Amino acid sequence: MRVESAGISIVAIDGACTGADFERALEADIRVAADGATFSADGARDLAACAHRLTRLLGEARAKEIVLGPRRFDAATALRLGIVTRVVPAAELAATAAALVERLAALPPLALPAIRDAVRAARDLTPDAALAVEHAHFRRLIATRDHKAAVAAFFERRPAVFTGD
Amino acid sequence: MGGNAQTRWWADARVGYIVIDNPPMNVLSDENRRGIRDALDEFRADGVGAVVLTGAGDRAFCAGADLGEEKHLTDETVGKFLARGEQTFRIIRDYDRPVIGAINGWAMGGGLVLALWCDVRVGSTAARLGAVGVKVGLMASNVQLSRLFPEGRARDMLLTGRTVEADEAYRLGLLSSVVAPERLMGEATAWARGMADRPHELMAAAKRAVNLALEPAVPR
Repeated sequence: MRVESAGISIVAIDGACTGADFERALEADIRVAADGATFSADGARDLAACAHRLTRLLGEARAKEIVLGPRRFDAATALRLGIVTRVVPAAELAATAAALVERLAALPPLALPAIRDAVRAARDLTPDAALAVEHAHFRRLIATRDHKAAVAAFFERRPAVFTGD
Repeated sequence: MGGNAQTRWWADARVGYIVIDNPPMNVLSDENRRGIRDALDEFRADGVGAVVLTGAGDRAFCAGADLGEEKHLTDETVGKFLARGEQTFRIIRDYDRPVIGAINGWAMGGGLVLALWCDVRVGSTAARLGAVGVKVGLMASNVQLSRLFPEGRARDMLLTGRTVEADEAYRLGLLSSVVAPERLMGEATAWARGMADRPHELMAAAKRAVNLALEPAVPR
């Protein structure tokens, strides 16, 4: 199941996630799984692209464990490797995904895609260049109405309402 | 031994200690930034081999920027604000001795950034880490979290701003060990002493090598 909130994609995985499904799941921003889910890169349309993506997502050692190691692995292994960041009982999967959607929807919407893009950039740049990207986003975001609304709400101990400006 | 209004520091048996003491939540002030810089300079002159950085009290390691200060930032002053923060992190990263973060409570926003620029982090069971910038419509800790962490985990923490408690932080590798609050300084001291007892040149070279390994590869 794939859902989106404020442009951030969440995949909730139940059952067998293999091949093209596995590739698609890796493209999402956040992945959660049911405890019975299984994972495999077998049948991927582009194993090299999959290996590249896994290396970015998990780091070199863990990516190799998946691409070169056991062909199928369970949810607990996926959590340990970092493929998913949360594993819950199957009956709670839909509610977990819904809670994530709600959580993201309650956050200031301009910051989310900016963070996602800065995470992606951070890996390809020198630390100084990556900091410059982060600071450019920061300067833009700090001038937004949503940021001011968030700070005001913090001091008044109430939830903030965001408008995306 | 030294200090200013919001920072204390001293050395004992070639281990330096810096305490951010800005109650109740140890928000990072200019005094703290100056204190960290002055303490590290003094430690180098005194032959300290490794440094422990922690927060005063049992609530927070460091809660990051002062939102009260930050809300007055204008287009002109925000650049200086960012530069001051960056300077502190750069000083820790480029310091030629290991810095161990003893995470005694909340490390959030800029406080998480400060923790992440330490070379090793040990935590008490009360440690709580959060990349909370997103909650106020900002971003912070992006760069260091993205470099320490595989991208999947960095996205989870940065996009949700959720709280990571001590046991999860240990499992994720953000903390290298977790102990009861009363044992935290003993644990941090043990890590620091192990490093201070090794040849200084070796520790400096190892730290530099890791810093360099995090630079993107030169295309061949």
